[in-house]
Amino acid sequence: MSSVTAPSPAVDPTGPLLPVARSRRRTELIMLVFAFALIVFAMANVGFSLKGRLPSGVAEYLVAYFVIIGAAHLAMRRFAPWADPLLLPLATLLNGLGIVMMYRLSAQANPATGHPAISASQANLQIAFSAIGVGGFVAVLALIREPRVLQRYTYTLGAVGIFLFALPALLPASISEVNGAKIQIRFGSFTTIQPEEFAKLALAAAFAGYLVAKRDVLALAGRRVLGLDLPRARDLGPILLAWAASLLLLVFESDIGTSAVFMGLFVAMLYIATSRTSWLLIGFLMFLVGALTASKLVGHVGERFDIWLHPFTQANVENNSYQLVQGLYGMGSGGLLGKGLGGGQPYITPLVQSDLVFTAFGEEIGLAGVMAILLIYGLMVQRGLRTAMSVKDPFSKLLAGGLSFMLALQVFVIVGGVTRLIPLTGITTPLLSQGGSSLVGTWVLIGLLARISDAARRPPPRPIQDEGLTQVVTLK
Amino acid sequence: MNRALRRISIAVLVMFVLLLINVNYLQGFQTASLASKPGNSRAFYAAQNQYQRGNIVTSDGVTIATSVLSGSPNDSIKYQRKYPHGPEYAAVTGAETIFSNTGIEASQNSLLSGNDSALDVRKIIDLITGKTTKGATVELTINSKAQTAAYDALRATGKPGAAVAIDPKTGAILALASYPSYDPNELAIHDGTQLNKVDKQLLTDKAQPLLNRALQGTYPPGSTFKIVTSSALLTQSPNTTINTRLDSPTDLTLPQTAHVLHNDQGEVCGDGSGQAPLITAFAQSCDTTFGKIGMQIGANALNDMAQKFGMNDANLNIPLPVAKSNYVIPPSLALTAFSAIGQFSDTVTPLQEAMFAAAIANGGTLMKPYLVKQVMASDLSTVQSTGQSVLSQPVSASVAGSVGQMMRAAVQDSDGTAFAFNAQAEGGLVIAGKTGTAETGTVNLNDAAFTSFAPYGNPNIAVGVIIQGGGYGASAAAPIAVQVIKAYQSAVGNQ
Repeated sequence: MSSVTAPSPAVDPTGPLLPVARSRRRTELIMLVFAFALIVFAMANVGFSLKGRLPSGVAEYLVAYFVIIGAAHLAMRRFAPWADPLLLPLATLLNGLGIVMMYRLSAQANPATGHPAISASQANLQIAFSAIGVGGFVAVLALIREPRVLQRYTYTLGAVGIFLFALPALLPASISEVNGAKIQIRFGSFTTIQPEEFAKLALAAAFAGYLVAKRDVLALAGRRVLGLDLPRARDLGPILLAWAASLLLLVFESDIGTSAVFMGLFVAMLYIATSRTSWLLIGFLMFLVGALTASKLVGHVGERFDIWLHPFTQANVENNSYQLVQGLYGMGSGGLLGKGLGGGQPYITPLVQSDLVFTAFGEEIGLAGVMAILLIYGLMVQRGLRTAMSVKDPFSKLLAGGLSFMLALQVFVIVGGVTRLIPLTGITTPLLSQGGSSLVGTWVLIGLLARISDAARRPPPRPIQDEGLTQVVTLK
Repeated sequence: MNRALRRISIAVLVMFVLLLINVNYLQGFQTASLASKPGNSRAFYAAQNQYQRGNIVTSDGVTIATSVLSGSPNDSIKYQRKYPHGPEYAAVTGAETIFSNTGIEASQNSLLSGNDSALDVRKIIDLITGKTTKGATVELTINSKAQTAAYDALRATGKPGAAVAIDPKTGAILALASYPSYDPNELAIHDGTQLNKVDKQLLTDKAQPLLNRALQGTYPPGSTFKIVTSSALLTQSPNTTINTRLDSPTDLTLPQTAHVLHNDQGEVCGDGSGQAPLITAFAQSCDTTFGKIGMQIGANALNDMAQKFGMNDANLNIPLPVAKSNYVIPPSLALTAFSAIGQFSDTVTPLQEAMFAAAIANGGTLMKPYLVKQVMASDLSTVQSTGQSVLSQPVSASVAGSVGQMMRAAVQDSDGTAFAFNAQAEGGLVIAGKTGTAETGTVNLNDAAFTSFAPYGNPNIAVGVIIQGGGYGASAAAPIAVQVIKAYQSAVGNQ
């Protein structure tokens, strides 16, 4: 491990010979303040709109979030001083907007039912999970000082990932089935955990480790047919395994969204590792075949396609597509600038706090607001991919590329789903929607990207100056 | 590996561009089409609560629906709808609820809520002058005195029924009441849970308080249909006058059946000679006479005349929808005899009862009934007003004069069915009318009907009343009509 920690660029003795490396921690701080100001503004907006004043509890919310984010920033300074300065502020802003929306949903009752979409204690849980999530983020930075160490645990992580994935399917439905999908583990009556949110991360790291070890044989061996480099049959093993796993997810857990994200992650990483287009095609075709078969076999999946194609028929509007069209109506009523936070009726849409939270933003902050949210996601993914390109270690490169793509894919699947670009499948909206597992999982993902970006941006150890003919090099 | 990463980046870029295009399409271009899609309660809500809703007032200036600041800080809806007279006007106003509207609240919704395109120019003026835009005020043709008299009289019977009063010269509806009714204030609440509870209770109530009997209830007209039968006879055979003596047997054996038609309680018609003048048969409401007339002129003639009086019309809108009053051409001559005295499959709404008398009172010309006099913007300028229009001309002026004379006789003659309401008994008020008692099986549960107009010389009101299970038309329905007529005459200063 290098002993160099954040040298002050101002006294860099190498002068103009080497480009001046900057840690950009101050940039991060300024951006954090900016993000935090936006959240304060949004929170005040909700309060004035719903109650005509700053409601009680807002100060506590903001102070709690301020402390959480402050801790994250200090951890960055301490453990990853060279990390990308945009990742933390972008995640902070999205998580903060999610908290504002949870607060907003809990503060207004639906006149039709007399209840708000979520209770005040559920809204408070979002803050608690944010704290746990940032805790996970700090833990990643503190414990994994060098991303490559994860490579040592390739098979352990793979086993853990598969176990976590399979867990809800193995458990009885009374514990794990929610809304027709078996993806959760219930503790008591209130708290649930979605192990897949953590399984994805473990498997991404396991894939990266496996592919780095096997990339040469996967990339080079094989025959060329019709201008396409086909892999050897025996090398198809891993992709078949991933395919089988994602199909099992579909059939036993009825969770087409996660299945798509998982398959996409694996294929993208395979492609990054080998640069072989044939893997992309094979993976895509296999997923298509699997999804079509499943849509015939599993009613839950076939129904999703029907809702997507014909959402506005009277029968669908009243039953199956009620959720989707209410979300669309919400976005439609928001228009260009939205109804203002607290001014819309997001409570009409079922599950507006989780799967359809994006439509609540569409309704209340309008097209302008959701475009900003999409751009924030895009920027986060772009920072991740840039990290992947600039980091030298192949394992880190693969992991960063895979994680960034997975984040992008997840946003695409859920936002595309609720806006009817693709069939709606219930997965969480990273950082925005209610749900502790997703929140913690995404923060860990950001932590991993921050860790890798630290490795990517860290300047190389500089030779000791003026030592004559003998050079002394610091060893790890 | 960077080449592959670059390609992945491009794929990610494409994904995000697709998402951005799609949200732009949804929120930039599709807002209007989404707002009109089925089940979009947001669009309804937005239109309902944008402005302070306009009032509904009667023609004599009584406010029967208004919107006031709800005043509750936890209420997401700024204004609260109030109905100061509760159930009395429910058949007219309907109710504005957070989910949907009924009655005038529904039919004039866009004007009341302020979203009608007819108000666009005024909204721009409001914007420039800085005035708060409000919904338009709807002024009805209803006279509050007549309405109160109608509702109170119906309520006093304690039986389900309805009364409708029309100005025969214009078609303006002066009173429209249904009993049992409901309090629209209970439905105007903003608490959806409570609203669902109240709504369910009203829907399952055996008394059917939500049913607007005046427009949506149809009942056998009984002998009031003899107005149609005599109109058809006098129109078809010009040589017949009200004094023409017609066969009026005590018992009439119907062709091809063993069924014998006889008068109420087996009474003798006229002088017992087996023949009676038309006017006597009408005043005494002889079923045998009119059964024979029906068979003589035929079902098609009855059907034509019924249609001209407004029956068999499913599209009448005043602008509240009105149920179809039915005359069905019977399959046999025997049943034609029954249909001529308002039995068989004949059914009418209380509004139709009023229209029978209104057409006769207006010299044979039936004016289209209407409920909305005019719509005024918040600056009291008129946005819309309803013009009078002729619905049909069922009979000539001379036939109308003859039928009117017979209706007068039913009240004036000492053996007329409604003699209890002659001018002497009513302090000089000269009423013409026709009673109807439709057999439903049990004598005491017969449906009672009465159609009338007054004052006889220069009619300004026609009233139709039906009481379900009221018994005799003369004893159950006629007193209600008389009270409405009296209240209206005193309101317009005739007495």
